[in-house]
Order: sequence, then C-alpha cells, then structure tokens
Amino acid sequence: MEIGKLSLHKTINAKNIQNENTSKENKLTTNPFGVSFKGNVIQADVFESAKKSSPLNNITEKSKLFASAVVSGINNFNESFKSRINSIVSFGKKVTSDFMDTIERIGNTEITFDIEGFKNKLFPDRQYSVKYLSNKSVDELKGIWTDIESAKG
Amino acid sequence: MENIQKIKNIIEALGEHKDSEAAISLLTELGTNSEDDEIREMTARTLIKKNTHESLRVVLISKGKGINDLSARVAMASINELLALKDKKEAIKILDDTIKMHSDEEVRNTARSVRALMTFS
Repeated sequence: MEIGKLSLHKTINAKNIQNENTSKENKLTTNPFGVSFKGNVIQADVFESAKKSSPLNNITEKSKLFASAVVSGINNFNESFKSRINSIVSFGKKVTSDFMDTIERIGNTEITFDIEGFKNKLFPDRQYSVKYLSNKSVDELKGIWTDIESAKG
Repeated sequence: MENIQKIKNIIEALGEHKDSEAAISLLTELGTNSEDDEIREMTARTLIKKNTHESLRVVLISKGKGINDLSARVAMASINELLALKDKKEAIKILDDTIKMHSDEEVRNTARSVRALMTFS
C-alpha cells in the first residue's frame, strides 16, 4: 500500500513537473508571426545536407571564387587605368594644340596703338583745335562741320 | 567747347588749308549760307583774306553775302577786312566790273560805296 501511494505520488509529481516545464518553455518563446505555437522552438540550424562535401572541395571552390575575384579586379583596374591614361593623353594633346594655336595667333597678331584716338579721348576738344583740323582734308572738314550743324539741331 | 567755336576753328583751318580751291568751295557752300551771323562774318573775313578772284567774287558780287549781307554786322566786317588788305588790286578790279556790269542795282550801289572807301583808304 505504501509502495502504491509512493508510485502514485511519483506519477503525480512527474506530471506536475512536466506541466511546469512546458509552461516555462511556452513563456520563454517569442513568436514573431503572431501564431500560437505550442512546443519547443528550434534555436539553431540543425539541417544538414544529405551530401556532405569534403574539405578539399570546399578549398577548391573558395580558391576559384578568390581567383575569379582577383581576375575581375585586375580587369577592372586595367580598364580604369587605360581610361585614365587615355584621358591624360587626350588632355596633353589638347594642351599642346591649344598652346600651338596661341603661338600661331600671337605670330599673326598685329599690335597697334591708336595714339591719335587715345589723345582725342583724353582731350576731347583737341580734335577741334585749328592745328589738328588743318591736317584734315576738306572733305573730312566738311563732314565734321555737317555733324556739328546736325548736332545743333 | 561750344559748337560755334568748333565751326570757327574749322573755318580758320580752311583759311590756312593747302587745297585753297576746295576750301573756298566749302566756305561758300556752308559758311556763307549759315544761319548764324557770327559764322557768316568769319566766313566772309576768311574769304577776303584769301584774296583770290574766286573768294573775292563771292563776297563782293553775291546778293546777301559779304558786303551785300542783310546783317549790318557782317557787311561792315567784310568792308573792314577789304580795307585792311595789303594788296587791293583784285578787289578793286572786281568792284569796278560789278559797278559796270551787275544786273542788280542794289549790288551795284554797294559796290560803288565800297570802291569809294577803298580809293580813300
């Protein structure tokens, strides 16, 4: 009888413990999907591929990836280097041609300074002085006279 | 500089100009027909100072110009300039011809008066 009580007591205690454990797990688990889920949530990825790859295969694949990355990197560098070199070369050519054009223009440019015009601007009445007018042709004097008459209104 | 002074300077420059014929032509065209008495006076003086047949003809026989100008100021200035000439031969010759042959009586009378003044000056 006592043994029977004990076993019954053990059974009850075991049931209580099991219920407590389940409720504790349920409380600790967060459910991001808003769906009630009873049971243990798997914390880590435990799936394994059926076909396991060997470490040697892994190394080969990794080295291939690395090599392709290096090659593509080299290609990119070459292209960017070429484009930069080309742009530098074209810039140099442009500078040279511009410089040559400037030199040619300077060679073909005549520098003149209108001293009479400058003096007339500096002293506006000078162009109406008798001395200055005496050196003009009669036609020019006629033009100046007519301009003055028309300016008078 | 005022416009009238500029024109006066042009007239003075024309008086000294090497191309005398063209200068006289311009003075006759623009100067003697100017509305301004001062410009007409200066033009007449300049033409008389030139003392050539062409320049004297303009101021002695043209009606309304030189000694025949309607402005007493211009006419008197012209007469004074004629009287001041050192060589009056050409002027007297033109005046004599005008007194004898000009169709306008007023012009002839003016020429006669000036001729008399020149004789006694």
